[in-house]
Amino acid sequence: MALYPNYPLQTERLRLRPFTRGDVDAVFAYRRREDVALYLFDGPLSREECALAVQQRIGQITLEVEGDKVVLGVELASSGALIGEVSLIWRNVDARQGEIGWIFDPAYQGHGYATEAANALLDLGFGPGDMHRIAARCDVRNIASWRLMDRLGMRREAHFREHALFKNQWDEEFVYAILWQEWHSRREASDGG
Amino acid sequence: MSPALPIDTDRLVLRRFERSDLSALCEYHVLPAMQRYTLGRTRDRDEVAGALGIMRGQISLQRPGDTLTLAMIRKDDEKLLGHVSLHWTDCTAGQGEFRFLINPVHSGNGFVREALSALFDLAFGHYRIHRLMARCDGRNHNSIKLLQQMGLRLEAHYREHALFQGEWDEELHFAILDREWQRSSKVEDLPPRHRVA
Ligand SMILES: CC(C)(COP(=O)(O)OP(=O)(O)OC[C@H]1O[C@@H](n2cnc3c(N)ncnc32)[C@H](O)[C@@H]1OP(=O)(O)O)[C@@H](O)C(=O)NCCC(=O)NCCS
Repeated sequence: MALYPNYPLQTERLRLRPFTRGDVDAVFAYRRREDVALYLFDGPLSREECALAVQQRIGQITLEVEGDKVVLGVELASSGALIGEVSLIWRNVDARQGEIGWIFDPAYQGHGYATEAANALLDLGFGPGDMHRIAARCDVRNIASWRLMDRLGMRREAHFREHALFKNQWDEEFVYAILWQEWHSRREASDGG
Repeated sequence: MSPALPIDTDRLVLRRFERSDLSALCEYHVLPAMQRYTLGRTRDRDEVAGALGIMRGQISLQRPGDTLTLAMIRKDDEKLLGHVSLHWTDCTAGQGEFRFLINPVHSGNGFVREALSALFDLAFGHYRIHRLMARCDGRNHNSIKLLQQMGLRLEAHYREHALFQGEWDEELHFAILDREWQRSSKVEDLPPRHRVA
């Protein structure tokens, strides 16, 4: 189902909202870092590249056709600081498949913010987005990322070995996924129902 | 990079498809259970003839995207039992995908295993593929068993990741790396001097 969310999406401690031009410095603060870029497709970004990335993200706020992507800035409700970003891609319209991703500023890692933001995105995809299955992928060495997938209740569905080259080395990749019914029963349980 | 064809195994000859294979191919190619593993839907002789035309052209791997398809012919009676194919998906990372189909009348005799062994030798030896993978339906227990016995690893188990003929699909991926594949005796048996050199 095409998706035109009402922004911002509010969670306990966070606001998920479209990117704006004023975000370039905050994005540069984490996208410039080697440790953040280690398992991302792109290497560390320059400030100009961040400005371009932000420019592109400003328009990525709805899902209308297959392949569309929603990318949202995540800010702390208390201070308004931008601490990272989460994304949801509409992979397949007929089979109602989505894929989520995340990048957070290391200065704000370790507080469960990524979990909180990603859960809000699962709610968006499975709720108004009417998705049936949402997947996520990461490098096997990206422990923080697949632990996050675990926390979200996703199942490990694939472990690919040397199936591709990534940054000139053999790639080893996990794919995790969660189905609508699995998400639904988790929400029922956490609502105390 | 054309392989030396046909390939001889204990009980089989693996060769290119020929026009005269149509009737024997129809025997299994039209079966509903085969449709998942065929290139397109083939419900009647005309559609199988179309598939045969395509497979007759799949005779070597020149560039990524190419497919090599080999008919499995039983030596005893020259009967077409099924076929195996190798699809070259990626050049720099050396990736290949294989498929196999056998007329159910002849399954359970190890013919697919015999043909796939030769196909793996060809893929890893002749074509220098780094990793081979295959997909199969989560309910296809015969194939799952076969692939596991051949030393392939279950790498993916997707649930409801796609629709297949209007129903939620369950798909498994199996894979094996070049260094994990034990070459069949024919290829291993180099003269001793050769090894020392
Ligand atoms: C992947 C990434 C988003 C994970 O960030 P994270 O901070 O570990 O994830 P969370 O915000 O959910 O925090 C979880 C951690 O906070 C702790 N935590 C503290 N309070 C918490 C709370 N209220 N709820 C949940 N966890 C909490 C958890 O115990 C966990 O710590 P641990 O891993 O030491 O056990 C981050 O490492 C990152 O951006 N990496 C670089 C970019 C990247 O690789 N992206 C993914 C590409 S596939």
